[in-house]
Amino acid sequence: MTPPTTETPSDTATTAPPAPPSNQLIRFGAAEDPFEAMFDRGWSDGLPLVPPTAERVAQMLSGTTRAPDEVVAVVPPDLVECTVETVAVNAVMAGCRPEYLPVVLTAVEAACTDEFNMHGVLATTMSVGPIIIVNGPIRHRIGMNSGGNVLGQGNRANLTIGRTLQLVVRNVGGGRPGEIDQSTLGNPGKLSFCFAEDEEGSPWESLAQERGFPAEASTVTIFAGEGPRVMVDQLSRQPERLAKSLALCLLTTGHPKMALAFDSILVVSPEHSARFRDAGWSKQRLQEELRKNMMIDVGRLPAAAKGITTEESESIQVKQLPKFRDGGLLIVHAGGRAGLFSSAICGWASGPAGSQPVTHEIEHV
Amino acid sequence: MHDITDLERRGVPGVFVASVEFDLAAKVQSSALGFAAPYVLVDHPIQDRTDDEMRIIAEKAVAELLEKLTSG
Amino acid sequence: MAIMEVLDPTGKTADSQFGSMRQPLPRPKSLEGKTVGLLDISKPRGDVFLNEIENSLRDRGANIVRFTKPTFTKPAPVDLRQEIASSCDAVIEALAD
Repeated sequence: MTPPTTETPSDTATTAPPAPPSNQLIRFGAAEDPFEAMFDRGWSDGLPLVPPTAERVAQMLSGTTRAPDEVVAVVPPDLVECTVETVAVNAVMAGCRPEYLPVVLTAVEAACTDEFNMHGVLATTMSVGPIIIVNGPIRHRIGMNSGGNVLGQGNRANLTIGRTLQLVVRNVGGGRPGEIDQSTLGNPGKLSFCFAEDEEGSPWESLAQERGFPAEASTVTIFAGEGPRVMVDQLSRQPERLAKSLALCLLTTGHPKMALAFDSILVVSPEHSARFRDAGWSKQRLQEELRKNMMIDVGRLPAAAKGITTEESESIQVKQLPKFRDGGLLIVHAGGRAGLFSSAICGWASGPAGSQPVTHEIEHV
Repeated sequence: MHDITDLERRGVPGVFVASVEFDLAAKVQSSALGFAAPYVLVDHPIQDRTDDEMRIIAEKAVAELLEKLTSG
Repeated sequence: MAIMEVLDPTGKTADSQFGSMRQPLPRPKSLEGKTVGLLDISKPRGDVFLNEIENSLRDRGANIVRFTKPTFTKPAPVDLRQEIASSCDAVIEALAD
């Protein structure tokens, strides 16, 4: 099957008669407004949904070569098997176009791994939700935003891909706020938080390359994080000073005195990255400089240092600990061309006991 | 029936009471609304009943009302 | 409004046991200590019926609040529905004949 493109989205709709759907058909009442009926059945995240008619779902399935009845993942918290077709139903409701479906399917797979721990991310009282970062050629093919307002509203692919994952967890996994979702405050990104990296404008290898994938691969990286917070530095002209500024801001992640507790994403914008590009700094160099400026004085090892017993922690005298564990700070390049700001996205409990970032290649594109 | 359908949407469990003549209409309406609002049927007619007769009708309905309104 | 058929987003298949209707809310275990709204639809004799229901439910420990909608020919006004929703744990509407 020819992969659908943005230019000719309807080409694939006529290739073959769609197989009859496996999911049960729900017939709304004659007096029901379909849009109200979807709210009434509890399928909505609070925003209107596109009615997933059999025709729209068949059209959505034209975006992948995978069989509709193939199981994509077992979705927490109720651990329900989720087929390609069921993902497609939720993708229709979220407002996706068929060409987004391969990204959505990969995001669902990545979110439902043990490493990512979607159940924990959902159930925690912290504000985190799944954040999807897309790398590789598919970003352009489906028209994702990696530029101005990259973490904001306005781009259909960014918004609806993230929303579909959220709806799958809600409708298939049964994860709803006030039930298994016990977040104290939540954050607006729990509705949808998905963006693409600006690889072309970056002085560095992409997040996916850093994580072992070739430049020509399209990938999804999923990270458990809360809302983005801007870091302002409009003065520093030397890379050392800018790195120190960013480190100061990143130190407050969670709490300024907490070490090794949370991972984070640092989104470096083009005007900030230009400082490092001009000085010839690699991504690794930036990581090292940030680490140097993010050592935290501690009397003894805090409980947050994983894998260390209380007795051990009391016996070990530690003067300083790094803010982030090795690999715990993900650097991504994105944003509009103007503006001397970067952004910090704080994560959740890091490591095997919490959630680990997961990168999967998007196949069957 | 519309009222109970809406009140359940607002988070209040509800039951309505109608006379037996209302049964078919309730079923048709449930299907149209996509929601089978729980109901209890009482004898028909109602309008010409004495107060004492009404009290007996109510007494007979209580058990079923409790059954449809509680899970205990 | 046009009837519409959609596919179940919860992944339930065509041969599963679940119906496609919206389901009633979970019920409280008992009405003891609960506030029960009695909504009179304003048809004759309904008040006598509800008086008796009120006595029975009070005997079972329920608190009773009475409401009357202006006419049985129309759904209750939104304000009244909101008032019931914000003050009651359960509601009984009577009496349609």
